[in-house]
Amino acid sequence: MTVTAATFEQRRRRVGLLFVLPALLVLAAVLGYPIVDSIMLALQRVTLTGGAIQQSWVGFDNFQRLFADATFQRAALNTAYFSAMEVVLVVLISLGVAVLLNHPMGRFGVFRILLIVPWAIAPVANAVLWKWILHANYGVLNGILKGLGLIDHYHVWLGTPVSALNFLLLVDVWKSVPFVALLILAGLQRVPSILYRAAYMDGAGPVQSFLHVTLPTIRSVIAIAVVLQTIWSLRVFDIVFVLTRGGPADATALLNFLAYRVTFNFLDLGYGSAIANVIFAITMLLAILYVWLLWPRPAGAKR
Amino acid sequence: MSTRMSRRTLLQGTTAAGAVASLPRFMTGPAFADTAKLSVFSPLPPDPAPPGAAKFSEDAFAQWKAAKGAEVEYEMLAWPQLHDRMATAFASGSAPWDIVYMCGWVPELQSNIIPYADALPKALVDDLPQSSFSTVTVDGKRYGAVFTLSLLTLFYNKAMLDQAGFKAPPKDWDELKRCAKELTHDGNYGFVLNYGDPAGIGGTASYWMTYLQQAGGKMYGEDGLPVFKGDAGVDALQLMVDLMPFTDPGSISYAGINDATNVLLAGRAGMMMNWPFMWNAGSDPKQSKIVGNLASAILPAGPAGSASIDGTDAWTITKSSKNPDKARELVEFYLDAEVQKRQVLDTGWLPIRLSVLADPEVQAKAPNAAVVLEQAKHPYDSFVTADYNEVTVAVGTEVQKALQGQKTAAQAIADAQDQVTAIVKRRKS
Amino acid sequence: MSFARRQHGGPLLRGLVVLGLVVFVVWSAGPVVWLIVSSLLEQQALISQPPDVSPSAFTLDNFVQVIAAAAALGKGILNSLMVALFSTAVSLALGAPAAYALARLPVPRANNIAFLILATQMLPGIAIAIPLFIAISKLGLIDSVFSLGFVYLSFNLPIVVWILRGFFLGIPVGIERAAAVDGAGVFATFWHIVLPISIPPLAAAAVFAFVEAWNEFFFALILTRQSAQTVPLVIAQFAGQYQTVFGQMMAAAVISVAPVIVLAIVFRNQIVRGFADGMTKG
Repeated sequence: MTVTAATFEQRRRRVGLLFVLPALLVLAAVLGYPIVDSIMLALQRVTLTGGAIQQSWVGFDNFQRLFADATFQRAALNTAYFSAMEVVLVVLISLGVAVLLNHPMGRFGVFRILLIVPWAIAPVANAVLWKWILHANYGVLNGILKGLGLIDHYHVWLGTPVSALNFLLLVDVWKSVPFVALLILAGLQRVPSILYRAAYMDGAGPVQSFLHVTLPTIRSVIAIAVVLQTIWSLRVFDIVFVLTRGGPADATALLNFLAYRVTFNFLDLGYGSAIANVIFAITMLLAILYVWLLWPRPAGAKR
Repeated sequence: MSTRMSRRTLLQGTTAAGAVASLPRFMTGPAFADTAKLSVFSPLPPDPAPPGAAKFSEDAFAQWKAAKGAEVEYEMLAWPQLHDRMATAFASGSAPWDIVYMCGWVPELQSNIIPYADALPKALVDDLPQSSFSTVTVDGKRYGAVFTLSLLTLFYNKAMLDQAGFKAPPKDWDELKRCAKELTHDGNYGFVLNYGDPAGIGGTASYWMTYLQQAGGKMYGEDGLPVFKGDAGVDALQLMVDLMPFTDPGSISYAGINDATNVLLAGRAGMMMNWPFMWNAGSDPKQSKIVGNLASAILPAGPAGSASIDGTDAWTITKSSKNPDKARELVEFYLDAEVQKRQVLDTGWLPIRLSVLADPEVQAKAPNAAVVLEQAKHPYDSFVTADYNEVTVAVGTEVQKALQGQKTAAQAIADAQDQVTAIVKRRKS
Repeated sequence: MSFARRQHGGPLLRGLVVLGLVVFVVWSAGPVVWLIVSSLLEQQALISQPPDVSPSAFTLDNFVQVIAAAAALGKGILNSLMVALFSTAVSLALGAPAAYALARLPVPRANNIAFLILATQMLPGIAIAIPLFIAISKLGLIDSVFSLGFVYLSFNLPIVVWILRGFFLGIPVGIERAAAVDGAGVFATFWHIVLPISIPPLAAAAVFAFVEAWNEFFFALILTRQSAQTVPLVIAQFAGQYQTVFGQMMAAAVISVAPVIVLAIVFRNQIVRGFADGMTKG
């Protein structure tokens, strides 16, 4: 009997490897060389001459340059604020939206379709749409708010550092909520109704049953949402590029925008890679932290 | 009107190029072994594009191809994305094009292109403004030929100026400030510009460079190090700061010139600096509410007179081209007098040839051509260098700080010079 | 008050839900409504203060212009469709088994492998763009729909694996054990038991992969030239150096979002329904 169990386990293990391998091979084929090359580029000074890249090793010079670069520090601070706010807002709003759409009154197909639309609009068009909505002179947001009497003069939403950064945040949250909400909604749907019934029998109110039944069951989904949203919020680019170009005066420069500017506008490939690798390292550290903190462990499993 | 035309054209052009690309192998193979295939990387209309990419001189183009035994394949991309795709291709050493459109990127990408313009016929070169070569010349060699005269000039709303009692556009800085002040009332502003993006030609830094020249200053000394920290540099920035109370406050947030142009075309700003092509949009009732009231003039003079910057739309030839001579002949065709005339008449992009600019038919169709030609008699240096993007980000960001009142003009200019010095020195090290 | 009634909540809760749904609709639909309105207005109406939305200002002109351009847009939609379908199908076909194995099967160091897969997403695309271009152009695969779809696997596959793994981890062990007792092999269990009860997460993953591939801009920009150009590049054509024809750009965006909405309508019930009940009954 033990022998059969062992072969059964072995077979499961073999099939498991077979299942994982193709995905790993595809990822290695696409990303292996670029990732390694990007890390190596960060250690080089790169110039474009004669139709090719000229490279020379400079050790950690590019990383040292970061410490003296005021723009980088500004961008790092902006990014810290932006990402932290974005993760918190997106996850909380998405949770709220998911709970609403999971309520019997919110279960119409039209709500679910409406949920997907902001995310389905091509980001190129979405960013330009928001640029026109927020325009200081003919933007419709100013028009509506003034029409409702909520403001007495047109505001330059993207004109001052704090306001500009927060409006970028708003636009990105708007675009990011749909997918995370969809994810959490799918998680909510799997909470067995029998658990709610049991909670009801025990006399739990809606708030208690949300806290004690719903949240624990969708904990892993929330963990995934937090990790993915963190990754995405650290690489926000298109909205900055279209709406503000990092301005005014670098107030909305985020790290990934900076990496783009240095790589593609300044053609300083080494330094650009160094910035990108900093994003990589920060994301990695945060992801490890979240997985360690949030990932539900099967009972009895080792940490 | 013509913008809409060219918008349609661009899509037809795209399809045509796609169709050429998908011809079966045998049709492009050995049977035509002696034909030269030229690949041209061009902006999509309505940005400046050549015959075959935009809809003009198509018969002449077909004749040219037949006569020269050449096939021409266009790869077209929306203007804002051109530099990214180009940089990627050059950086990887596999640029597939023979002819490449460039806009101020010649010094930066100079090692990927050849100085073919030195071999252009003298008769042609003599008909081009000599200053037009300044942005495509590196170490005394000419790497490109500008094909449209695109200089910043002053655009203004005649009705608004009339109403405020100005019979003529401002001639100098004092008049400019006074006029802007008078025009600012009841939600209207005297001036509008896009100060949101610090970088590039048409970015915040380049506008300051325009005033810098008007104040008699220049960016770099003989040794290539910046020399703009002086009265001219500070005066130029101080003018921009002084204009701010009469400038649409949104200007600091407008990332593209389009955001500012629309304010002028809506009739809520009196003046702005803009490029000649804007004339088209301003005369199209679908886009403009000030049709008939739009006018242009040369830029108001500073202490050293009027001055401008150059849009520098130029054709270059890549080092990897297998047919550089044929490619040069194609550029010569693009610059042919008749083609240049059709370029302005059919697409609205001004020619670069002085003889065509002076043509009465051209001046009738493009009333601002005379103004641009007049502006061309004054200096127009865009100070394009290999570090242009990095320099303009640094300078433009400091200018933005001054415009927002975070710094004085003198302080911002001093800080900008320090940063630019570091950038130049790093490149040279 | 019965349990079923309780699920709807008392008057206070119901009021809150209605209020929440109203806020949700305004928040989601507001900008979308403006997108559609913009696509029906001329530029001069859009730059009025406030924008001129009187009935006489509306026109179909933008759509006429964009449809006159149908050749480019149509080709873009076709290319995007191929890229998106390919990358969605492959990332599900490879991602679902991988996610199952990493969640349920005794793969050594499963957690580390899963984290490694996620880690591939942490380097911004901007950093890998140039090396990727070099590699793909050496293979002669620039401007091919296939190579673009393959590259899109690099961000779709890891996300699909992570979404699905999370769900597979939550499946009660009893279900698989019952199948094993019935003599079903690993593959049969996966195919006949696990996948059918995982339709909502599979649909969510598919929607994710499809939409991301449909809308991706940056890699499409550098890895295509003319013939493999996708929808976002066609939309970007309406923003030039000196002018953006906003109404036309929005009209193109409306057209390009339509296929995604159609898909969402067709699959709206798969997207979130029916998981919990099926599982408790099973």
